Amino acid sequence: MKKIIAIAAILLVLAPALFAQAAQETQFPDPEKSFTIVVGFSAGGGTDLIFREFAECLKEVSGADFIITNIPGGSSATGTNELLNGEADGYTLLGSGTHTVSATLQGTTAGFTELDYVAALNWDPFVICVQKDSPYNSFEELVAAAKANPGKIVLGNAGQTGATGVASIGINLNCDKSFNVTAFNGGAELIPAVLGGHCDAGIFSQSECINNIDGLKPLVILTPARSILAQLADVPTLKEAGFDFTVPGGSFRSLSVKKGTPQKAIDWLADMSEKAFNTERFQTYMKTKGLIPYFLKTKDYAEYDQTLIDSYTPILKEAGLYKFGN
Amino acid sequence: MDFFMQGLSQVANIQTILWMAIGSVLGIILGALPGLTATMGIALVMPISFHLPTATGMGLLLAVYCGAVSGASIPAILLGIPGNPNAIATVEDGLKMTKKGKAGQALGGAVVASFIGGIGSLLCLVFFSPLIAKATLAFGPAEKTTLALVGLVIIASVSGKSVLKGLFMGALGMALSLIGTDSFSGALRIPFASILGHTPLTKGLDLTSSLIGLYGISQVLLSAEHLTKPAAEIPDVKIDHIFPSFRKVCSMWKIILASLGIGTIIGAIPGTGASIAVFMAHDTARTITNASNGKLEELGTGCLEGVFAPEVANNAVTGGALIPALSLGIPGDSATAVLIGALMVKGVNPGFQLFSQNMSLVYAIFITMFIANLFMAVFQLAGVRLYPKILKVPEKILMPLVLMLSFIGAYAIAGQATSVGIFNMGVALAMGILGYFCKKNGYPFSPLVLGLILGSMFEENFRRAVKLAGGNYMTFFTKPICIVFIAFAVFSVVFPIIRSRKKASK
Repeated sequence: MKKIIAIAAILLVLAPALFAQAAQETQFPDPEKSFTIVVGFSAGGGTDLIFREFAECLKEVSGADFIITNIPGGSSATGTNELLNGEADGYTLLGSGTHTVSATLQGTTAGFTELDYVAALNWDPFVICVQKDSPYNSFEELVAAAKANPGKIVLGNAGQTGATGVASIGINLNCDKSFNVTAFNGGAELIPAVLGGHCDAGIFSQSECINNIDGLKPLVILTPARSILAQLADVPTLKEAGFDFTVPGGSFRSLSVKKGTPQKAIDWLADMSEKAFNTERFQTYMKTKGLIPYFLKTKDYAEYDQTLIDSYTPILKEAGLYKFGN
Repeated sequence: MDFFMQGLSQVANIQTILWMAIGSVLGIILGALPGLTATMGIALVMPISFHLPTATGMGLLLAVYCGAVSGASIPAILLGIPGNPNAIATVEDGLKMTKKGKAGQALGGAVVASFIGGIGSLLCLVFFSPLIAKATLAFGPAEKTTLALVGLVIIASVSGKSVLKGLFMGALGMALSLIGTDSFSGALRIPFASILGHTPLTKGLDLTSSLIGLYGISQVLLSAEHLTKPAAEIPDVKIDHIFPSFRKVCSMWKIILASLGIGTIIGAIPGTGASIAVFMAHDTARTITNASNGKLEELGTGCLEGVFAPEVANNAVTGGALIPALSLGIPGDSATAVLIGALMVKGVNPGFQLFSQNMSLVYAIFITMFIANLFMAVFQLAGVRLYPKILKVPEKILMPLVLMLSFIGAYAIAGQATSVGIFNMGVALAMGILGYFCKKNGYPFSPLVLGLILGSMFEENFRRAVKLAGGNYMTFFTKPICIVFIAFAVFSVVFPIIRSRKKASK
């Protein structure tokens, strides 16, 4: 009797998994299933908002349901690992990008070595801002203050191993390591910390900066060219501000899936991403947020990602954070 | 006004109203069933809310919350068994009223009181949370660290008979919150890392599953000890004269205002909750009636005053607990902790950003809170003769249902991630067993829950605050807000100890 109950219980637990397997072989996508996009940052931050908008557009063009799951921590490593622990069935996607490259090179996740590329979306330039009432009116003044008093001026980022983290380390290396570089859990935590005067300066994405422009003073933009947004058009680039070095000056957003996902599923997702990317809604969204469109599909994106990896590697090595492959 | 209209437009649709009606009835039923708490009710419907628009989902959860807090009074009045801790203090006078044949008046009075409490605290919420949200910028990592400390210490010192047991459980909760991944370096922080490092446990214990286990499964295990016991006999009472007279309600204005204030303030302090507020309100009402020169009836004799005070207070806690939850992202009690979790899933980060960029949603939440209270009153009054019948369902039918719903709830939270769902069920089961032994041995587990919730917040902000201060641990003693909080925390541990020493020496 007990055995029968035990077997029945096991079958009951396994049944959904069995059915899922069968359905997956016949068609993709299964209309009964919804898609999950894992975002490795808290809800409400810059990365999160972009993927939420994109998920809405994906819903529109595909008719399928796309849900965002926020798994913050470890500068996106926690969420990435969570995805890698799951099934390679194409129903769970990763909101990947420069933060994934960075976390992988720092050895906190198997990251891109275990991912298949779906589509690249856009670049979001970084801006260094201080609070509106801050005594520093230019990046030069901020750096001078840091050098005069090493370790006293705090430069906050949205996660040590993420893209803003790497940019802040890159800057610090070029400023005699005089900043106190402190990591926050996503932009959503960094913004109030800078606005409230708990953190002297912060590296923000453009969209985060504009959303809070009333309380912030942008000092410098980290991309080679100035912003395409009217509100930030006056903000000088690093070079214009008198600094002759470059850092990875933005965050790049893309979609990936776990390695081993059926090619059919990847192709379907890439096609849908292309359609969603080209909707008027997403195009307008990118324009108003100042995001620089950069759409690439599967293989093209894989090649491009290699160039990102190559640009991150030297900075991380110099900062002593490079732990790739051990 | 613009935001109000935008908020209204998110709520004014048939889908929202229907879901909220369902949530309200469900909440009342869950609240009325002994052992099932508001927290558990919210946790069980949370997976449904993921698939609804944000405002609708929040409406559903708030309807369950308000209903469950108010519904707990039904068994408290009829049987003398509180449906959940919200109604502990309602038992004394409620049961006596039933014995006097005034069950209808007590049940009706409890609903009216809950409605007054809910709406009154909602007004406080509407008024205070935008102010607090503006003040949140003063809350940096150091201030948040000490606020989390206050919450942990208060709950530890008030929730049990022994401060030491409370502190121990709080510390255990914090220790459990450390499981997972280091949020700064991304390094694994888990026992048996070579095995568990490849499981969903790397993300830490799932909070909702833990709560479902602690509140739901532990209750099932406890009841399993006496499953053969027949359901409680419902005294065959006549339920009439449901509405208290307007004059009677007016005569209690002092009690109502005092209970409203106590409920809202206690609710707003992280770590405290309804079970503290209701006793305080009851005590205060006793003082008021004693001073009324016989105009009000004496508490403990089976009077409406003794039902009104705790019932106003427990529903006032709902609005109060949402104040820090929405404005700072810090839950006032375990039920609001689950609400915050549901908001985050929807991409809404409570705190500064919610108020600075999504004011229309804030208003939508306020409006649904109003509807939740309205529905709670309407449905509980309409079914005042029906709900007592629920109590006749024997435990041997009810408890297996709860067990099943608990597992389904824990599994469903994970959405499509089936392996995570399976792990959540394991977490719920483990926490259920832990909760069972805690209950058996008199260890209060609300400090454990608060430790789980506030532990990671404490840790992250502590490390960040020290880093911001360039490695100086004394930074917590240099900021005025921090000093106030630390003093408050020390006081709340030392005071009960001194008091019990004094009692012992007498």
